[in-house]
Amino acid sequence: MKILKRIGDTKGAVTLVWALGIMIVWEIGAFYVQGTKRTPENVLPHIYQILGSVFSNKPVSSGQTALQIVITNAGATLLRAAAGFFIGMISGFILALLMNLSGVIEKIAFPYLMIIQMIPILGMAPIVLAITRDIGISRIVIAAILTFYPVAANTLAGFKSIEREKHDLMYICAASKWQVYTKTLIPSAIPYFFTGLKISAPMAITASILVDTLQGDGGLGCMLSQSLKHAMSIMVFWQIVLLSAIIGILSFYLMGVIEKLFMPHKRKRVMGGRRNYEDKE
Amino acid sequence: MKTKNKKAALTSFVYPLSFGGLIFALWQTGVLHKLLGTDEFTLPLPSRIGNIILDNLPKIAGNIQSTLIVAVLGLLAGSLLGYAVAILATIFPRWGGGGLNVVSAFNAVPIVALAPVITNWTKDVSKDASVRSMVAKILVVMVICTAAMSINAYRGLTEVKPFSEDLMKTYAADKLTTFVKLRLPNSIPYIFIALRVSVPACVISALVSEYFAEYITGVGRQIRENIVLAQYSTAWAYITVACLIGILMYMILMVFEGILLKHRRK
Repeated sequence: MKILKRIGDTKGAVTLVWALGIMIVWEIGAFYVQGTKRTPENVLPHIYQILGSVFSNKPVSSGQTALQIVITNAGATLLRAAAGFFIGMISGFILALLMNLSGVIEKIAFPYLMIIQMIPILGMAPIVLAITRDIGISRIVIAAILTFYPVAANTLAGFKSIEREKHDLMYICAASKWQVYTKTLIPSAIPYFFTGLKISAPMAITASILVDTLQGDGGLGCMLSQSLKHAMSIMVFWQIVLLSAIIGILSFYLMGVIEKLFMPHKRKRVMGGRRNYEDKE
Repeated sequence: MKTKNKKAALTSFVYPLSFGGLIFALWQTGVLHKLLGTDEFTLPLPSRIGNIILDNLPKIAGNIQSTLIVAVLGLLAGSLLGYAVAILATIFPRWGGGGLNVVSAFNAVPIVALAPVITNWTKDVSKDASVRSMVAKILVVMVICTAAMSINAYRGLTEVKPFSEDLMKTYAADKLTTFVKLRLPNSIPYIFIALRVSVPACVISALVSEYFAEYITGVGRQIRENIVLAQYSTAWAYITVACLIGILMYMILMVFEGILLKHRRK
């Protein structure tokens, strides 16, 4: 009992138990559905059925196994999502920098930044497709717009959050504008920048998949709608659902890992337990 | 000093307005089309979009209604559920914290994966296709809003000032009193942080879940259907409406926040 309790104390174990709990609920649901439905795999298949389809060699469509289809299409989707994410990240950072450098640009851009947040860009996915006329480009554009806003808004908040003392110190040292930015402003904005990235990484992937569903030419979303129309095994659908969930979650954690690589000093401070105090100031 | 403030306030109005006016002028005169390399067929002039909205007002109003019902009910249900989850996590910190990790993982699940699954699950809810796709859409919006609310509300309920917690202890306040008098008020600003995220998110997920619903209704679905039929100007009319819904809901939230939090600051 004591050992069990000690294991239960670690944070990872708690999450693991939760994940196991969800799996158990899923399986109970799957057994229930199996008893009541004619085509249970459409509603809720067993987890082992999905895993089985991942490892099966049976060709599903045009000589490819389910896994091959999912992997090749996931590659295409992810590549475009990553391209859009990258473009959005850089342009968001540059806009935040420009807004901080010039009051005029901030005054012009900030209200529109607020409005962009409220405009359902994902709802505009079809129209972006109509304008760009190319599914690949429109996926990149939408992923970029969705990335752009959280990054720009968070980074600007980061620039504004700098302590007065630091600013004064740089002034006393007669630092040039370049030095002020590279030595104090940009480093202090980096945590905010990463918060923006964490928000937008799953969104960029959602955008990329969603735009796929609108037109053919491969991609996870395209396969998703095809397997829903029963053009191939429904297991492809479940594989895509699981995979996109995993990719979404991983992309979030990946940003956290990159953040730690960039800012090892911040990690130490958090581990030292001082963060709580600082938040409460 | 006063004139300087006035000037600053004036410029913060004039600059964005003139920028918006510039874009509008470029759009209406067709310069924007040349810049983007499109034509008036895919990107209709603003005046034409306005006319279409006015001409089809009753039909658009019906679609707005069905989208708004989904978004608002999903937002309410999701936020209440999220807050309940946060309260549970506060009462049972060890297991609740881990549970919140799981909830935040749900937040990263793409809506496009969630919507068709939930559509399948709700097939038995009602024989009426319009009712069951409404339920499915509300559930999708609910899942999205639950995550945002529970994570933020948990922070609000747990990250109280240490000295106020100590003060409650010195008064020998029981857990319930601490909760009602200290944690609950402390969480209110965090509720608004969550709502700032979930209000735009609820509109987006309502639009996207309409793409996958059985019953063809709602602003999002109309955007898609009209694009498929290559009726781009009608689609633009619905996009304009979707933007207005998003902006209006956000403004309502801002007004509420202003009223509630202003009272608190005093």
